[in-house]
Amino acid sequence: MKGLIRLELTRALRNRKFLFFSVLYPSILFLLIAGSADSTTKVDGTGLTLPTYMMVSMASFGALTAVLMGNSERIAKERESGWVRQLRLTTLPGRGYVLAKTASAAVVSLPSIVVIFVVAAVVKDVRLDAWQWLALTGAIWAGSLVFAALGVAIGYLASGDSVRPITMITYFGLSILGGLWMPTTTFPQWLQDIAAWVPTHAYAALGQAIEQSQAPHAKDLVVLAVFFALFTGGAAWLYRKDTLKA
Amino acid sequence: MTTTVVGFDQVTKSYGDVRAVDGLTLALHPGETVALLGPNGAGKSTTLDLLLGLKRPDSGTVGLFGTEPREAIVAGRVGAMLQSGGLMDEVTVAELVRLACDLHPRPYPVSEVLARAGVTQIADRRADKLSGGQAQRVRFALATAGDSDLIVLDEPTTGMDVTTRQAFWATLREQADQGRTVLFATHYLEEADAIADRVLVLHRGRLLADGTAAEIKAKAGARRISFDLPDGPVDEAALRALPFLTTLDVSGRTVRLQSSDADATVHSLYGLGLYPRNLEVAGLGLEQAFVAITTAEEARTS
Repeated sequence: MKGLIRLELTRALRNRKFLFFSVLYPSILFLLIAGSADSTTKVDGTGLTLPTYMMVSMASFGALTAVLMGNSERIAKERESGWVRQLRLTTLPGRGYVLAKTASAAVVSLPSIVVIFVVAAVVKDVRLDAWQWLALTGAIWAGSLVFAALGVAIGYLASGDSVRPITMITYFGLSILGGLWMPTTTFPQWLQDIAAWVPTHAYAALGQAIEQSQAPHAKDLVVLAVFFALFTGGAAWLYRKDTLKA
Repeated sequence: MTTTVVGFDQVTKSYGDVRAVDGLTLALHPGETVALLGPNGAGKSTTLDLLLGLKRPDSGTVGLFGTEPREAIVAGRVGAMLQSGGLMDEVTVAELVRLACDLHPRPYPVSEVLARAGVTQIADRRADKLSGGQAQRVRFALATAGDSDLIVLDEPTTGMDVTTRQAFWATLREQADQGRTVLFATHYLEEADAIADRVLVLHRGRLLADGTAAEIKAKAGARRISFDLPDGPVDEAALRALPFLTTLDVSGRTVRLQSSDADATVHSLYGLGLYPRNLEVAGLGLEQAFVAITTAEEARTS
């Protein structure tokens, strides 16, 4: 199991495209969006400046990229190529494959969060208390597990050919609707009503509550918990179905 | 303590209406080198999948070393190489082999595994950038990463050239000489003939024959007979009625047929009042013997 995690990680770190999109790209987007904003403009109804607000959005976006993109596509492709079958002929427990994938994605998502924080603090002078930085890192990192589970579910649902478009649609849908690219307060009201129930919105709201020195909203926690249960349950069900078929 | 390595008892597996494995019962014993022989679609891969616990039988039981297949795999008693066993991409051959060694309870040193499979030279190549034959040898390395008692291989030489193929069989024979049980599926009949001390012929999910390659040939018992009939028209219906005939092929005045009892067939041929010229009677290779067994079976079931 440790051997597989190590190998998955070696591979993820070797994949420059994946590292660019999950670690550097969110920072670049952050600078594009928040770059020209002065640090006094507040995002409607949050009391946070645009850079502070977008820092959390982009950190969430980066973590989402790291856990969703890699896993779904690899799992679907490796199911098709027969690597998953080959692994079933080893002592590796059935869950080991998915756990190794998730663990290695989690290792990549951590730097993608930290890099954004450093860029925001250095370039846009975002200042928070020490506990807030730590709590933010922890919350965004832990919250990304919800989307790691979604990535696994998509990997077991999609075929090797269809996995990329399905992942892309899910990824952009979640990013835009959840307000990771622009605050949802800029959306028309009807879209805001929908966005309020999107898991990525609850995910980013978690971090923004910490920035406002507030406890996370109960509703956001419930939304995340429900989606986590849904995605993990779905992934487990699809995994079992796939194993029986194999 | 059991002496059965692999045990199938009345195993059936269907996909929709197709019976891929149909009431299969067999037992493999320690140290045997067994070829599972059959044309495409005979049920070879399904049989191996059932054996390895990748698929569950609809009915009947499959045992490995007297336990559930998965249990035997976890105990590291089985090394397997699948036809459809993909490799992880973006990692090197050496890294993959190291993983296989990590996962085996009684691993061999990585360098030894690489050398045995003949992949030391390509150890630093990426596993997704290999030729078909190279990928097969890497799969073989994964299957032999540790001290297993049974090695299962599904059409292992697919994609290998002749030289690699010979080297590969030499390696496999070493494995068998160390007392391991080896089971391989193939549709190359000369491979079964040359390597295996026991041949199982599988056809439409049923066990058609089980014996040494020599016995299989004897079981087909077939001889090839050919002759010309220069005088007068060829009466195909009369030829078709010859006793012990298995196949008949008339082209112009040349007749080629196969018979399970050449003496009786030739005797009747003269009895028809025919005067065959250039008469030749020859034995069949395993390849034709195999075709003869399967066509006989098809004739019986249709």
